[in-house]
Amino acid sequence: MVRLGLQLTLRSGREAFVRLLVMAAAVAVGVALLLGVLAEFHAFQANASQPCWSCTLGAPVPATLPAHGELWNDSIDFYQGQTITRLDVAALGPGAPVPPGVAHLPPPGEYYASPALAALLRTVPADELGDRFPGHLAGTIGQQALNGTNDLVIYVGYTPAALNAVPGTSWVTSISTAPAQEVFTPFFRYAFLVGVLAVVFPMLVLISTATRLAADRREERFAALRLVGGTPADIRVIASVEAMVGAFAGAVLGTVIFLLVRPALAGAALIGTPYFESDLTPTAAGYLAMLIGVPILAAIAALISLRRVQISPLGVSRRAAPKPPTLWRLVLLVLGVALFVYGLAKTSRDGIGAPAYPGLLITMIGLVVAGPWFTAQAARLFGRAGRGSSALLASKRLADNPKAAFRSVAGLVLAVFLGTMVGTLIPAVNATEASPAAGALSNVLLDQVGLSPQAGAHLLSGLGGISGATAYPLYSLYGQPPANTSVKQKTGPASHPGDGQRRTPGSAGSTVVSCPVMRGLEVLGQCAPGLTAVQADTSALFSDNPTDNTKPFVNASNVAYTGDLAKLPLQAVLVRVNSPATLERVRTYLALNAPPQEGGGQGQSPTPPRTFGETLGIRLDRAATFEKIVYAAVALTLIVAGCSLAVAVGGGLVERKRPFTLLRVGGTQLSVLSTVVLLEAAVPLAAATLIAAGVAYGTSILAFVRLAPIGTAIPQLGHDYFTLMGIGLVAAFCVIALTLPLLNRMTSPDNARFE
Amino acid sequence: MSTPVVMRGCLLEARDIVKSFGQTPALRGASVAVGQGEILAIMGPSGSGKSTLLHCLAGIFQPDRGEGWFDGRRLDTLGEAERTRLRRTAFGFVFQFGQLVPELTAADNVALPLLLNRASRKLAYKTAATWLDRLGLSDKGGRRTGELSGGEAQRVAVARALALAPKVIFADEPTGSLDSLTGEKVMDLMTGLAREQGATVVVVTHDARVASYADRVVMVRDGRVSADLGAATVSGSSAAKAVQLWSASACS
Repeated sequence: MVRLGLQLTLRSGREAFVRLLVMAAAVAVGVALLLGVLAEFHAFQANASQPCWSCTLGAPVPATLPAHGELWNDSIDFYQGQTITRLDVAALGPGAPVPPGVAHLPPPGEYYASPALAALLRTVPADELGDRFPGHLAGTIGQQALNGTNDLVIYVGYTPAALNAVPGTSWVTSISTAPAQEVFTPFFRYAFLVGVLAVVFPMLVLISTATRLAADRREERFAALRLVGGTPADIRVIASVEAMVGAFAGAVLGTVIFLLVRPALAGAALIGTPYFESDLTPTAAGYLAMLIGVPILAAIAALISLRRVQISPLGVSRRAAPKPPTLWRLVLLVLGVALFVYGLAKTSRDGIGAPAYPGLLITMIGLVVAGPWFTAQAARLFGRAGRGSSALLASKRLADNPKAAFRSVAGLVLAVFLGTMVGTLIPAVNATEASPAAGALSNVLLDQVGLSPQAGAHLLSGLGGISGATAYPLYSLYGQPPANTSVKQKTGPASHPGDGQRRTPGSAGSTVVSCPVMRGLEVLGQCAPGLTAVQADTSALFSDNPTDNTKPFVNASNVAYTGDLAKLPLQAVLVRVNSPATLERVRTYLALNAPPQEGGGQGQSPTPPRTFGETLGIRLDRAATFEKIVYAAVALTLIVAGCSLAVAVGGGLVERKRPFTLLRVGGTQLSVLSTVVLLEAAVPLAAATLIAAGVAYGTSILAFVRLAPIGTAIPQLGHDYFTLMGIGLVAAFCVIALTLPLLNRMTSPDNARFE
Repeated sequence: MSTPVVMRGCLLEARDIVKSFGQTPALRGASVAVGQGEILAIMGPSGSGKSTLLHCLAGIFQPDRGEGWFDGRRLDTLGEAERTRLRRTAFGFVFQFGQLVPELTAADNVALPLLLNRASRKLAYKTAATWLDRLGLSDKGGRRTGELSGGEAQRVAVARALALAPKVIFADEPTGSLDSLTGEKVMDLMTGLAREQGATVVVVTHDARVASYADRVVMVRDGRVSADLGAATVSGSSAAKAVQLWSASACS
């Protein structure tokens, strides 16, 4: 029987072959997408569980240097908005622990860099980057220490004496192997779960639709088999074989497609940085699940579809006429929304209430369950309002089996739901992160220098010599800075760990700023007319939140300062640059000539000099990553849903070849039949889409009101949303339109022969 | 027209069969017996229940009441599996349309019941080739049935019905979709080969010319066998006349 099933599947002519091909193609798209999501998740998990060497906490360096372990100083730096992770290290003995990715510690005067940083060092002028690292490149750091191909990491070798002189250096005898405790890891894990669900759900719909492709024709064949003595078990075997062959071919094709696009996917940087291709792979179990699970799912879908019909030797009859959907179908949707709202009620500043997550999931399932009811109601309304034969045919068919009609657009409805949520929340999140003033200061670099008046003057003079850079000094009113009393050529690290706890600079009017300088920093405020300098509270300037640190700190009420600015220590410097190259030259100059102040504790990285634009960029990167993931999920859902729709519409045409051909033979115009096909998709799509968009917008607003700071404006759906949804829906109708030539060919009166 | 064979005892019998579809009665106590090797034509107006009677005799339908007998065994009490086995081993079917698998070739279709009966592929296709040859379709074995003419497709159906050497061939309007010449050719072949094989044929038709191939004609009206016209040793035209006379009397 299996052989007969294979024969019927593989050697039954062009129509059967096309059916197999369409099913395999549809399943392949779904499998490729799912493998992509699984691979991204695997890569994310691999990164999340990678040993975090930079989390190593050392001990204070003993007065007498020990003969084992190593001196350790890790910090961060920036280049063109990218973070450079830097480790300065000096071996104290032969058994010094070695960080991952290298065979041994770099000797003094040498450094190892990640491939991406090594490439930059080779191509970028030394005064923009290379000069920050003493010594020369001795090798590259391996994949074990990196999260992705674009990671910028450097291990710089020192003598113990040189590194010990650098503040913030600690003594390390073992390197941390525990994964980093990232705050966002559980969040991203959850986002992936939603992403997987967003793909799996429509994919199941797709597989099930593809399996039932041209089911009527197949069932007629089964009836013929029953007539000549085929048992119901024989029919089940043949149906399963047919479904499994198509699904297996699709799974294999999908795997091949995935493997072909994997390099591009690795470079897509979904979670911030491009992955290593070797990380971007589903597990062996993932592949196996696809190749075995998908055909099994297809077989189950085929068997379920057989259960719905009675295949007798005389033909096929429905086991029971489909009952019209009842109001009970709305229960799950209502329950999901209620649970979501309850979760929001439980939401605090510490986190979103746990019931919100299952609430969201149940709402999505509820939309699919309730869809046929909405379709039936829409068909009823349409039947009353519609005029003409197309409306009559479409509304009757929709009313007859709203479940089948909705099934073809179920995926799109989910995509609309997810898209509306994203479209509502993302712009709102971005609005709370961004600051209007940040744009005006995006090319202004801030560095806390803490220099004596003489050293400060020297630094400003040096900065003045850099073409394209304009320096704006901020002076300290009180006392001398704690360190760096003179400008020195730095031979140590560019910055110190432990500086994150540095004293809050610029507090309570302790900063003095020149009024002509403020004219160059207009967005930060202006002095009262006639003043040459004022005292100001600039503490907010050093916050890492762009909404705070770009707030004006000077206005007409600031106390005037009449002393000599040249006699005040230089607290910080703002430098406006005219190009990315100038920015890096200034950064390199500052790293060498104005090392940061003493750190506040072991294992804490200071904030290196960076522009306000970069500060904002780091903040926005997180939102952008989240946005990317969710938009990717929406796009994936749209693609899968589009495939489902194409398969369902194409399959529906094949099934109705006979009645449609007879209608054409009887004089019905092709345009009437085309309109019927379009209406059959448009009515359930419109009905369920409106509900999905409404529910998603409503729940998003509720979430927003609960989570956003008080006073934040209620988000409106922007043009991004309408563009995405518009493209999705237009593409859906293009998919349907693509099947219309098929309708013309299939229902040609020349084909009015059915056996 | 071949000489009718002598009936050798009852092979197939319906006793007082009642069958309804929902609220609509189709058979209201129909009884008929068919002898081994006999060719029986069941005639009657549309909706009279003649096809339902055939389906009950073939075990496709289970009657609501009454008994069906085949070869000394109760048909109506057999389970689905046993009735399926009978269709696979003892019965052959020729319908107006819908009985062939369009995706399969003519040879595949003829071999199908043998394959379902667990015959070896070699034997199944050899038998199929033999029967296609006997029905004048030796060059059509590799063609899909969707590519054949109506008459050719019906001959494939006949070949398939006969390939298993069935005890009974059930034919429901076998020439309904064919022109008269092609219909006659199909009937000639089917009845001739059935007689040759000693198979019983039950044919439902409203066409007197088809009925003229039968040894006996029964008339069905309102779900009952209302007339047994006996041995149809008459010519086609006489049979037609007999039917017309019967119809007229029934109507009056």
